[in-house]
Amino acid sequence: MTGFPTRDFVALVPIAILTAGGLALLLSEVFLSSVRRGYQSGLTVVTALLAAVAAVVAQPAGPVFGGQATVDLFSVFVTVIICGGVALSALMSASWLQARDAERGEYYALTLFAAAGMALVGMASDLLVAFVAIEIMSLSTYSLTAYVRRGRRPSEAAFKYMILGAISSALLLYGSSLVFGATGTTLFSAMHGAKGAGSLLLLGGLGLIASGLAFKVGAVPFHAWVPDVYEGAPTPVTAFMAAGVKTAAFALLARVFLSSQVGGGAGDLSFEKVLVVLAVLTMIVGNLLALPQRSVKRMLAYSSIAHAGYLLVGVVSTRVEGARSMALAGLLFYLAAYTATAIGAFAVVGSLEERTRGDREPAAAWDLSRFSGLASRRPGLAFAMTVFLLSLAGVPPTAGFVAKLYLFKAAVGAQLYPLAIVGVLTSILGAFYYLRVVVHMYMKPAEGTEAAAPAPAMVFALGVAALVVVLFGLVADPILRLAQAASALVM
Amino acid sequence: MNLLTVVTFVPLAGALFAVLLPRDEPGQHRALALAVSLITLGLSLFLWFGFDAAAGAAEFQFEEQRAWMPSLGIGYHVGLDGVALLLVMLTTLLVPVVVLSTWKAVEDRVKEFMIAILVLETAMIGTFAALDLVLFYVFWELMLIPMYLLIGIWGSQNRLYATVKFFVYTFAASVLMLLAILFVSFNDGGTFDYVQARAALNVTTAQGRWLFLAFALAFAVKVPMFPLHTWLPDAHTEAPTAGSVILAGVLLKMGTFGFFRYAMPLFPEAALYFRPHLATLATVGIVYGALMCFVQTDMKRLVAYSSVSHLGFVMLGLMAISAEGLTGSVYQMLNHGVSTGGLFLLVGMLYERRHTRLLSEYGGVAKQMPWLATAFVVVTLSSIGLPGTNGFVGEFLILSGTFLSRLPNGQVLTVVASTGVILGAVYMLVLVEKVFYGPIRKEENRHLPDLSLREGLVIAPVIVFIVVMGLMPAPFLAPAKPAVDRLVQRFQQAEARLGLPSRVGTVPTAVAARPPLPPGGAY
Repeated sequence: MTGFPTRDFVALVPIAILTAGGLALLLSEVFLSSVRRGYQSGLTVVTALLAAVAAVVAQPAGPVFGGQATVDLFSVFVTVIICGGVALSALMSASWLQARDAERGEYYALTLFAAAGMALVGMASDLLVAFVAIEIMSLSTYSLTAYVRRGRRPSEAAFKYMILGAISSALLLYGSSLVFGATGTTLFSAMHGAKGAGSLLLLGGLGLIASGLAFKVGAVPFHAWVPDVYEGAPTPVTAFMAAGVKTAAFALLARVFLSSQVGGGAGDLSFEKVLVVLAVLTMIVGNLLALPQRSVKRMLAYSSIAHAGYLLVGVVSTRVEGARSMALAGLLFYLAAYTATAIGAFAVVGSLEERTRGDREPAAAWDLSRFSGLASRRPGLAFAMTVFLLSLAGVPPTAGFVAKLYLFKAAVGAQLYPLAIVGVLTSILGAFYYLRVVVHMYMKPAEGTEAAAPAPAMVFALGVAALVVVLFGLVADPILRLAQAASALVM
Repeated sequence: MNLLTVVTFVPLAGALFAVLLPRDEPGQHRALALAVSLITLGLSLFLWFGFDAAAGAAEFQFEEQRAWMPSLGIGYHVGLDGVALLLVMLTTLLVPVVVLSTWKAVEDRVKEFMIAILVLETAMIGTFAALDLVLFYVFWELMLIPMYLLIGIWGSQNRLYATVKFFVYTFAASVLMLLAILFVSFNDGGTFDYVQARAALNVTTAQGRWLFLAFALAFAVKVPMFPLHTWLPDAHTEAPTAGSVILAGVLLKMGTFGFFRYAMPLFPEAALYFRPHLATLATVGIVYGALMCFVQTDMKRLVAYSSVSHLGFVMLGLMAISAEGLTGSVYQMLNHGVSTGGLFLLVGMLYERRHTRLLSEYGGVAKQMPWLATAFVVVTLSSIGLPGTNGFVGEFLILSGTFLSRLPNGQVLTVVASTGVILGAVYMLVLVEKVFYGPIRKEENRHLPDLSLREGLVIAPVIVFIVVMGLMPAPFLAPAKPAVDRLVQRFQQAEARLGLPSRVGTVPTAVAARPPLPPGGAY
């Protein structure tokens, strides 16, 4: 290890670009005191796209910094998903924030810092690096949650998120220390060959790590924060969190799970059982609790829990050698599809949301009735929302269908039949509550005020998201190929 | 370009074009939808005349096979056997009729309505044409969305309940089929291709039975078989006329077609195992559906329950697994499409005049509307299977085919099922009598216009097909023959392979002429 590790630093260029973009935005807020801040979201989009391009163009370096991070096609795919999510949510943020007179550089800077953290989470192959990366991501998202503090709900959301997030970080850190105690290493790659494999200490450590990550993805029974935080946070932030945090956390969970699997041993089997239980609970509870919601935003929050359940099925499916690459590719595709779909759905919610002045809180800002008759008032918006909802429900020909097909195929391939059956049966509940929104949009007469026309950037973001959702459903093959290539090189 | 692919996607292209046309000019959308559906009909005639029904001809014709999502093993593979051809023709024939029938009935959001109808047509043709399991599933589910919108937006009072029930019922029943499809792909060499899967599928007996059940559930809900039929009366009653016609005419056939094409040939052993139960349920459905008709006060609900009864016949014929029974089932699928479709069209016309579907609101209206009454009577006679109409051919084939088949308790079931024919005649004629004859009791009924030229054009094809298919069934039976023979053959091979006693095909006539064998005798 002599000389400057140029190769290792070059591998982190996408993260450097995201961070530099964030810093530039912060500085712009200091030096350019212009009232017009339209350029900021544009700069964010450009930064995110640059980072994505840099990630794709650079040769995957493999393990860097002594194996503490791994830049492989898997992490590249994750980085691209995250950058896409940043770009989409930045586009929708612009008009949302402008309308509330809250557009500032800090917002976009925090988004980019969070994205840098997420990309690093996707690369982490060492428990400590993973912890640091998660903290970068989380601290930025805590602040973003509290970004528009009007009324009680956002503060409550941010506070809840921070406290529970801190607990989950503590679990993660404690788990890491137990794993270190058992194996003498924090590197994923060294864990399975280490002496403590199969010991109670290792099992406890892995269990705590799994709980910490389960907090981040909102898996039941660690989901209690999700509805409040998702509902209280500014809608663009919710969209970004739902997509980005989930993508990063699942990438990490897959890496940790795989490295615990490769060694083989009694303890490792228990880790899998923990995930199976989490998956079943998450699918059932998430879908059941989404049913009675009248607030569409809250319903989408519960739906994001349900989707975490399906993704957990994908993670567990990696246990069987034969289904592994399919499961990983399915995970990646699902995350990509979910990113486009969820951001799109939240964008529609954001553009319909009731606006208030001062600290007065709207009683039912995201109530179903706000969607009534949308099809006759704003046919384009209603159509886009329908596409997103159908994709969330997994109805062909949308991205959500191909994603579910792929993930459940992996589950069947891994012979996890009960999980697959629970998965498809709970998705029936999904069809029910997603369709309720469609019923309101298309089949109920309009109530209340005229919805304002969405801004051009918002229209563009919605158009891109809807196009991605439909294209991923119809001509998924190129993306599937990329996902499959990305699944080959994880360890 | 493959002709079948063109026929499948022309309606979708028309729908995409309609998106560009202005919303405020409904006339354009009506004309476009009619033109597109007529073009589709015209193109599908080339399929009809190009199809080779000889026994030695290829099983699937107009085949096209391309990679679609090769990394998942999903291909775009389409092709038609005779049965699928008949059902595609039924679809392409019914859609222009339906479009024409909505000329006046749909005033609200005409653009969206026509787009939904055209998308639905592509989905329906695609479902019949697909030869890849996932492609089939995609079309199968795609069909739900426009139908859901048709019922939910243009339906009557209780439409929201009906449409959500329809969607959730069908969606719920099909997701397990998706898992079964995935399971199949792991046991046939990793392909979703139907033809390859059918040849290479290798599962244990128990697995085969579970898979059959997963497929059968999806299809049985669609048929709908008793006791999974409860969505149907609601959906039919609340749907607009166009929705009811398409639902009855084509969508229900997808269930029976699914049994014929997928559930039975893919898992012959399981099909033989569950056959007595399904046949019993079918018979129960026949009688139950017919009895329910007696207590209906709503015309559409009555016709809906009669569908349950009629589709019971189709299922019974399928489960007979004899050439006659299967042929009769295929024929009855077409008949039901034509005659029940016709009934819904006529009920829709009555509704447009009086804005009610209640039987008690009518009576004696034949004097004002002699032509409509005549058409109604003809369609009714076809529905109850009067000789000379298409219904007779189908029901006769099914009943005689089941009676002479080796289905356990086949004779008992046939006898019970034939009471359904009698009950059917009673409730349908009572319906005609209550609506059209007797004294005029309501003042509103004194001045009702008879069929207009447009309405005449709508109902004329139905009448023509009722008569032609009743008198000259041969051209319509011919394409189905090779497909039916192949299915019977498949079952015979399966029995030989499994060493089971022969329970498919027809009992030789000499044996059939003898008194029935004692129980436990060697069938």
